Amino acid sequence: MNNDNQSAARKLLAVFAHPDDETFICGGTLAKYAAEGVDITLVSATRGEMGRRMGNPPYLNRETIAAAREQELREACDCLGVRELIFLDIRDKTVEFIDEESLTARIEILIHEIDPDIVLTFHEQLGGHPDHCAIGKATKAAFSRAGRREGLYYISFGGMMEVPERYGYTREDIVKVNVSGHLEAKLAAFRAHRCQSEIDEWVWLPDAEAMTRFGEYEYLIKSEEAAPIVNASDLFQAEDSHAVLVAGVNL
Amino acid sequence: MEKIDRIQVEAELRKFVGGPAFIHSEATSYVFVRNFKVEITDAFIAGDGNGPFRVAIRFDGHGWLRMESLTDYEIDGEGRLLLAGFDDRGRMDVALHLGKEPFSE
Repeated sequence: MNNDNQSAARKLLAVFAHPDDETFICGGTLAKYAAEGVDITLVSATRGEMGRRMGNPPYLNRETIAAAREQELREACDCLGVRELIFLDIRDKTVEFIDEESLTARIEILIHEIDPDIVLTFHEQLGGHPDHCAIGKATKAAFSRAGRREGLYYISFGGMMEVPERYGYTREDIVKVNVSGHLEAKLAAFRAHRCQSEIDEWVWLPDAEAMTRFGEYEYLIKSEEAAPIVNASDLFQAEDSHAVLVAGVNL
Repeated sequence: MEKIDRIQVEAELRKFVGGPAFIHSEATSYVFVRNFKVEITDAFIAGDGNGPFRVAIRFDGHGWLRMESLTDYEIDGEGRLLLAGFDDRGRMDVALHLGKEPFSE
């Protein structure tokens, strides 16, 4: 790619709760930006060690699942192109009970250290699971405390943000990422999370058939504090137009 | 894990009677407790044939812990007795672990 040099500087930090959040919810988006050369760091608050799915048939128990899910997440990161993986070592299902101040402070330090252009996390009300909402709330607070306004987005499930009005948002709040060119990577990451995806027969169908289950788009919600969206198909707003311009000059 | 063999599990339970034990117990979708430390005075397993099985523990002279729907067991590398109940698609419904040392937090 002719804009590799510019892209190499772009960084994305994703802060989620469990191994598989990154794949099942926004795997296409991560794979797409990784393929464009974006440097992606994933933070997983827990190792998903209290999950109900243990493989099908089960090959894990409550004491072995943490290490297994960590390993599966590492493989999924390789599939998606996520470069760095950090665990916060919080026990699954307890994120909302962890001291909020220290959790926020830990994430703020990561934001300072990594200095990402984009941060993805859960929406603190629409997260769908107490751990998701808690990590989303802490990440939002950390982002603000780090003095940042631009570049925070909340991930959303499937096509729910095709009709953002239902959730009090408008189309102007939504970035719609076309992930159709990255469904193979997303499927590979689904399969890497074997103990969670084994129960879903469709994941293990031939690739082309399995990929029909994925949407072409993944939807992200802009944080309230950020400036209006300029490019509704790209998380990188100002940076992206700059990169395109520079790439054009290089041509 | 393997399917519960009642005789085997009964023998393993007996090893924890008369001393302190750490317990992890969960009804996966609803509750878990981890690292309850108790003095086990009695331990029982009940259930017919291939199960599922029920396990009950008497502790501290006045306490009961009873669990049902247990299907599988394992003695892990650290000598801990791990019992679990799975549904027919491998999802955990319940778990009961006994160890002489605390389980990882």
